[in-house]
Amino acid sequence: MDTLQTLLLAFIGIVIVNNLVLTKFLGICPYLGVSGRIDMAFGMGCAVTFVVTLAGTLTWIIDHTFLIPYSLEVMRYLCFIMVIAGAVQLVEMYVRKFFPPLYESFGIFLPLITTNCAILGLCLFLNLWEIDSLIHAVVLSIGAGVGFTLAICIMAGIRENLELADVPEVMQGAPITLVTAGLLTLAFMGFAGMI
Amino acid sequence: MMDLIQNVWPAALLAVGLASLFALILLIASIKLRVEVDPKVEEVHKALPGIDCGACGFAGCAAYAKAVAADPELIGRCAPGGAEVCDAIGRILNLQISGGGAPMRPIVHCRAHREDKLFYAEYRGIESCTSANAQPDVQACHFGCLGFGDCVRACKFDALHIVDGLSTVNYHNCTGCGACAKACPRNLIRMVPFTQDNMMVVACSSRENGKTTRTFCTVGCIGCGICAKQSELFTVADNLATLNTAEYAPSEATQKAMDKCPTGVIVYRGKTAPAPRQPKQKAAAVAT
Repeated sequence: MDTLQTLLLAFIGIVIVNNLVLTKFLGICPYLGVSGRIDMAFGMGCAVTFVVTLAGTLTWIIDHTFLIPYSLEVMRYLCFIMVIAGAVQLVEMYVRKFFPPLYESFGIFLPLITTNCAILGLCLFLNLWEIDSLIHAVVLSIGAGVGFTLAICIMAGIRENLELADVPEVMQGAPITLVTAGLLTLAFMGFAGMI
Repeated sequence: MMDLIQNVWPAALLAVGLASLFALILLIASIKLRVEVDPKVEEVHKALPGIDCGACGFAGCAAYAKAVAADPELIGRCAPGGAEVCDAIGRILNLQISGGGAPMRPIVHCRAHREDKLFYAEYRGIESCTSANAQPDVQACHFGCLGFGDCVRACKFDALHIVDGLSTVNYHNCTGCGACAKACPRNLIRMVPFTQDNMMVVACSSRENGKTTRTFCTVGCIGCGICAKQSELFTVADNLATLNTAEYAPSEATQKAMDKCPTGVIVYRGKTAPAPRQPKQKAAAVAT
């Protein structure tokens, strides 16, 4: 019961309180780049969730079976990036095969998940936070992906409504998007310290 | 030196091992998830203009290229590319086709500027033709150009402008995509094959009888039939003269029909079209 509660708290913590996008400011590039339409944002969120779950789990296993026992921590970045790049390639092939229109609308942002710092960030956080059980690591990885999806979907929803708003000419485009992102972050900062 | 090698080999082994593992997984995945890309599709895509105007009815040039490669009957939908692109696609797909004919360009079938026609009252609604068209008496003429620029907004090539209340095509910029023709709620803009640089056209769509037309427009077609007497290319039906544009070629007869038209509704449209002449007599009703 105690572990279940820990896991649940960890999940809620990474989704809302320590949301990678909104409180750690990781993965801002796709967050601003693909949040124009809510269906695309959700697709991006799903892709990132898949990659981060796979990458987080695999990197934790690699970290704890090879890197730490053989004192090869220096290899961490190389191994992690290799895992992430491999997972992204897998996703890209899968999306291209089964969702061609989604593949076309993602454009460059799909391969760019490789360099999405939220994913590498999560893999490194797993080590930094000294997560010592696999199930905990898996929950945190899924939570990070869900948190990213949540953030990008909220952003896309706001931006879809902004299309209809009468935004002053000087604020149109990037400026209003950044202001929106800032306000959204402020709102999420309200959760800080809850867990 | 030995120390260095001793320390490096596990790291190297790990890196190589991991890399090979992922290479293997990706190799299997790439075989299982292979997507066949038809080289013809890419070639067709390169041959298209790449402006994504949507005249073909597809989402963009890439989508059209895919569709036309799968179904050659869709060839010839690319209006901006015209006969040239049509031929290029034909060559890529090994089709026996002859050129697409004269390029299609839009013609606004109205020539009445603001001062030429009668208004009952000023329209102050939403600034769009579709909305204005829902008002029965936005202007006296139920057929003519409303001048709120739905066609201008539809045009991606800056080829249409409202000049003094009348939509006017700049044929230098026009690619013939047909977006304006779809946008016009009164169907004034129709795509016409430009067999000549400048096409002669009956620039009116009014089907009211001549007397009524004269009360609200000084330059409308009154269906008098004088043009039809001069040239067989003109026909009058429903109080409106029409020119057979497909057969049109400049001749003495058509020129005479144009000169004799009492309201001057027969005009030239095209890249170097001369300014239309004024009607022979101003209708009294409009002047008031």
